[in-house]
Amino acid sequence: MKLPSFKICLWLALGLAATVPTVRAQQNQQPDASAIAAADDDEYAVVRVYDPLEPFNRTMFKFNNGLYDYVLRPVSKSYVKVVPAPARDGLVNFFANLRYPIRLVSDLLQGKFKRAGLETGKFYVNTIAGLGGFIRISNDVPSLATVPSEDLGQTFGVWGFHKGPYLVLPVLGPGTVRDTAGLMGDYFLNPLHWNQLEHVNGYHWWWDTTVQATDTISTLPFLLSLYDEEKKSALDPYVAVRSAYIQYRDAAVKQ
Amino acid sequence: MRTARFLLVFLAISSAFCAAASAQNTDPQTVLRGAVDEVLGLAYDGKTDAQSLSVRVRPVLEKYFNFDSITRRAVGPGWRQFTPAQQQRTTTLFTELVIRTYADRFEAGTQPGITYAAPVELASTKRELPTTIDYAGKKYAVAYRMELISGQWRIYDVVIEGVSMIANYRSQFDSLFQQGGAAAIIKALEDNLAKVAVTSK
Repeated sequence: MKLPSFKICLWLALGLAATVPTVRAQQNQQPDASAIAAADDDEYAVVRVYDPLEPFNRTMFKFNNGLYDYVLRPVSKSYVKVVPAPARDGLVNFFANLRYPIRLVSDLLQGKFKRAGLETGKFYVNTIAGLGGFIRISNDVPSLATVPSEDLGQTFGVWGFHKGPYLVLPVLGPGTVRDTAGLMGDYFLNPLHWNQLEHVNGYHWWWDTTVQATDTISTLPFLLSLYDEEKKSALDPYVAVRSAYIQYRDAAVKQ
Repeated sequence: MRTARFLLVFLAISSAFCAAASAQNTDPQTVLRGAVDEVLGLAYDGKTDAQSLSVRVRPVLEKYFNFDSITRRAVGPGWRQFTPAQQQRTTTLFTELVIRTYADRFEAGTQPGITYAAPVELASTKRELPTTIDYAGKKYAVAYRMELISGQWRIYDVVIEGVSMIANYRSQFDSLFQQGGAAAIIKALEDNLAKVAVTSK
């Protein structure tokens, strides 16, 4: 493992940097303002991202920007206009609840058995008391309100797999090779892709398509607002999104 | 000799009192709660208009956020190569950007609920204060990093769902700095603020 040794070096370096002003402060009796300032400058190391595919990624990033602005945003706007807010929240909750197998399997593969139990409790509470998952009743149960949600990408991270290169995928957006592999596994764990509707009388192929499209569209308003905020406050949107994605996923793996 | 001794005792006692008083006033959690309450009070006083909110919220944020050290940390070691004028300009512009971004996060409608967890000690004068924000049926993990500077706890970073505001700008400033030094950073800040001003009208 490369990562821990790198971290140790970083902490050692930070520790050394921190002792310099202390020593100087003791000599001068008073903390030297410039010494404190110098320690401040070095406190945040640049988030390191392995991005050998940057030219490709930047092209994909631009392509996605266009897709969001000219295709997904109009879709999202009409959806918000047509469907009232409670129904929109209900749909988001329903599809999130349905993805329970992804969270359960990931918890089990990481050996987080207590969390697997909590996820199961959440699934039953929301499915039965929350009318099929449309109402997230679990938010009112303190022990179930903040269960960190796991996926296979995080599982690979916990197992110590390297992230691999940063990878911006068309439509899906930022990711890494590790998270993309996780996403493929998640796809098969999602009941939406189990073709269960085929067993219903009078099945048409477009049933599955409609359900899957509804899932995607229901998440759009939130994702686009997140994306807009990130883009508006960014000085270099590509670097900003990349840094935010890597930090977010690193934090999720640690949880 | 006697007066000197008396003075010494007096000094010792009074400084002990001062220390106790300032320790009470400067519990980081109390300071943070005060800051959050003040900001929410402004954001949900019925006069919600994003443009004016960033103006109205500025004095509160300037009181609780340490924008000098936020800017310095976000720029990183390159800061030492800035001229004092460039440092001043960068701090002014970046402060404006952070305040606008912060004000934009408040949307009219439901007021977020906030739960505070126990502070984590990062260093003797630094704490991380984890909070959970409950907004429109979703929960977000937001942690505030605070430091004790001349007897006052002030915020120097906000970490939303594991994403540190400073670390995020640090990456962007770093790539700009490598391209064109302080001038590139100042230009990027000016361009962003000008663009936002146009689109928000």
